[in-house]
Amino acid sequence: MLANIASGCIKGIEGFIVSVEVDTSPAIPVFALVGLPEAEVKEAKDRVLAAVRNSGYEPPAKRITVNLVPAEIKKSGTHFDLPIALGILAATGQLSETAVKKLKDIIFIGELGLDGRVHSCAGVLPMLISLKKLGRENAVIPVGNIGEAALAGAAGFAAHNLREVVDMLEGKIPFESAAQPAAAPAEEVKINGDFNEVKGQMLAKRALEIAAAGGHNVLLMGPPGTGKSMLAKRFAGILPPLTREEMLDIMQIYSVCSLLGKSKTAFSRPFRDPHHTISNIALIGGGTTPKPGEVSLAHNGILFLDEFAEFSRSSLEVLREPLETFKVTISRAKDSLTFPAKFTLIAAMNPCPCGYHGSNVKPCHCTPLQIQRYKAKVSGPLLDRIDLTVNLNPVHYKDWQQRSEGETSAQIRARVVKARAAQKERFANSPTTANAFMTVAEIKKYCPLPDGGGEILEAAMKKLGLSARSLDKILKTARTIADLAGSAEIKKEHITEVMQYRPLDRKGVSDI
Amino acid sequence: MSLSYEEKLALLKINSFSYLRADWLERLLGIFGSAQEILKQNAAALSEEGKISLQTAEHFLKAASALYAEREMERTQKTGGGIVFKGHEGYPEVLLDIKEPPLALYIRGKLGENAATVAMVGTRKITPYGKRAAARLAEDLALSGITLVSGLARGVDSIVHSAAVKNCKPTWALIGTGIGRIYPPENRELALGILDKGGAIISELPYDAPPLAAHFPRRNRLIAGLSKLVVVVEGEEKSGALITAKMALEQGLDVLAVPGPIDSPQSCGTNRLIREGAAMVMDARDIIDALPVNLKAALDTDKLYAATDKPAKLIDLNEQETKIMAAIGDGSKSVDNIALETGFDIAGLSGLLFNMEINNIIYCKDGLYARNKF
Repeated sequence: MLANIASGCIKGIEGFIVSVEVDTSPAIPVFALVGLPEAEVKEAKDRVLAAVRNSGYEPPAKRITVNLVPAEIKKSGTHFDLPIALGILAATGQLSETAVKKLKDIIFIGELGLDGRVHSCAGVLPMLISLKKLGRENAVIPVGNIGEAALAGAAGFAAHNLREVVDMLEGKIPFESAAQPAAAPAEEVKINGDFNEVKGQMLAKRALEIAAAGGHNVLLMGPPGTGKSMLAKRFAGILPPLTREEMLDIMQIYSVCSLLGKSKTAFSRPFRDPHHTISNIALIGGGTTPKPGEVSLAHNGILFLDEFAEFSRSSLEVLREPLETFKVTISRAKDSLTFPAKFTLIAAMNPCPCGYHGSNVKPCHCTPLQIQRYKAKVSGPLLDRIDLTVNLNPVHYKDWQQRSEGETSAQIRARVVKARAAQKERFANSPTTANAFMTVAEIKKYCPLPDGGGEILEAAMKKLGLSARSLDKILKTARTIADLAGSAEIKKEHITEVMQYRPLDRKGVSDI
Repeated sequence: MSLSYEEKLALLKINSFSYLRADWLERLLGIFGSAQEILKQNAAALSEEGKISLQTAEHFLKAASALYAEREMERTQKTGGGIVFKGHEGYPEVLLDIKEPPLALYIRGKLGENAATVAMVGTRKITPYGKRAAARLAEDLALSGITLVSGLARGVDSIVHSAAVKNCKPTWALIGTGIGRIYPPENRELALGILDKGGAIISELPYDAPPLAAHFPRRNRLIAGLSKLVVVVEGEEKSGALITAKMALEQGLDVLAVPGPIDSPQSCGTNRLIREGAAMVMDARDIIDALPVNLKAALDTDKLYAATDKPAKLIDLNEQETKIMAAIGDGSKSVDNIALETGFDIAGLSGLLFNMEINNIIYCKDGLYARNKF
């Protein structure tokens, strides 16, 4: 007999429908699983047969053929256990007519334990969201993933074990959505510390405020112990609150990576800080079954790269695509898939290999050539995507003592939110979301130079050797500074302030 | 008497060993009469006549035969330069008076007829103060027609050479490597500038000799030897600049020093020189006054005297800028510290600093601001 059960699968972070066809025929008992299953899907046969037996049903002594349609797409994930088990029961006549009928409009997702229990699995949220778009709202999901059903707004029956699912199909238990769709995701208040805990470093704080307000990328450069990591960790606290859409995007990615905690419905902006020895694949995503990398896990959040210059050249190279297009495309011979990767990059590095160049705490032992090489590692196209660069200097105890308490994260955030609101209005009819992402046309439209602004830029180019390609970045950043000041136009002082954050553009004035 | 080509080649071979302390080679030249003759001898004969160990003699012959003298000549000529030999045409006569004059000099560019030469040397780890002082003095001296002599090293040397190059005046660089190899590499552009402005790059070392530690103190005797007096801008207690000063004193030249803060390690050596009797330099006039009278006459000092008679170039600073200058003081300060001392907020201060920077009042390096040379 033949049975057909609907399930889903993930490609990238998009879900699609898979129908699980199960056929039993009188022949030597063999379990054949076809339709390009990955290793973990193939293992389903052993789990399923045990689960069926231990739930009190009879595993057939027949040839079982399971086909996953569409057969040409690779399938991964452990969630095919439940549909396969139900398919076997249906194909061997162990389900009633009503139950078989009911099967048709429900999607089944779940991993089975040998005892018949339904375990939670990865990727439930994006699967449910995609399936909902395809018009399939009813789903049976593991009880552990119930929070994700609520987020997706899908009607999900939370299954504890196989027996319970069968009982529901037989009508003994009603199909009730256990999920409370009203439970909108709330932003989790996860504070990594407050900005007022960082003494001094006012210039760096100001740069981070500008970065938060306009979505700009930042490079913090300074000797060890100047508070680079401390500042970066607190950056999430001054970013505007997550919108529901942003949060769903983040959670879909985390769901695919099984990083979504049990029934977790709240989330703060991601803060990812991979080590500099990270492989390219781990950074950008990929693998035999492509999984999102750190850049995608930092989507709508922060990617903090400490010891920026120590990352391998190729790692820095692969960062260019997400920094330019805000997504990662993984291309394979057969097809390609896309992960979103729109993040604020905060890079931190020492000014030289030993770390103490320009510091008055310890002497630097590097030769100018070494320093030049070290800095050159991050120069070029990558630096073109970084709008703000700050040199941090050590804070002396004396200064540290007299520093007053700085502003709190909440105070800074209030200004950021205001500046973001101005940008939302500006880009109401455009896919652009913040000043940092403006297109050339938009820069022309929204960033007119004030009277005398041209002279400033000209003087800067002549005197400091600013390159023409940095002009656009200066304008974008000046726009954000104007937004922070609540000014409709860019003023002269906004442009002169930006110059402070472009030290790497300078070509030695008195530089020997 | 001019040298034959073969003799020149033989001299270069000998020179490739003698630039390291080897005065016995002079002796050998006296005994055998020519470089070619020396190279014909075997180690035992050299050892006996020159009163050196057999090992040294063997070492010498090996090193001498390893040098492709013809190629040295060709490559030097290709750069537009030439090699001059001791006591022959083009060789600076002043060098004959120093201890251990080099057998040969590789010269790129022109070693002009300038009699008024002043060596300015100093530390490689220059402070903002040293930068200001060196640039200010060097510029005045170059403009008045003095040829500045230095070593193309980092720090003071680079400032001195670039001050001359910026003002299109010739300057001589006596380097501690071969002339085919500029060290440190970041000064390659500066070296080209020196050649472009009619200066010269000079070395006694084989064409592409590497920057070995032993080379540098030896070339200091040439810096002193080619100059009428030596000015030390900044120097630690034990530094190459002080070696140059010592060699200058041995050669009977005047040594002048620029004073500095008593707690700055870079001024330790110069302050000590002053205490020991070196003339103190407060402006370029002090240096020019120390030159012999006949040389002074040829210099264009009108402009200089007018310029340095004023205490310092006056700049109109507004109230905020005056406050910032006071906060920066003599050293270098970060934006944070300036903000703390002036009480200005970061956003406004950034703009002010930028304006002062493009007006040449201050400069910024690695996030630290310092006064320009005025």
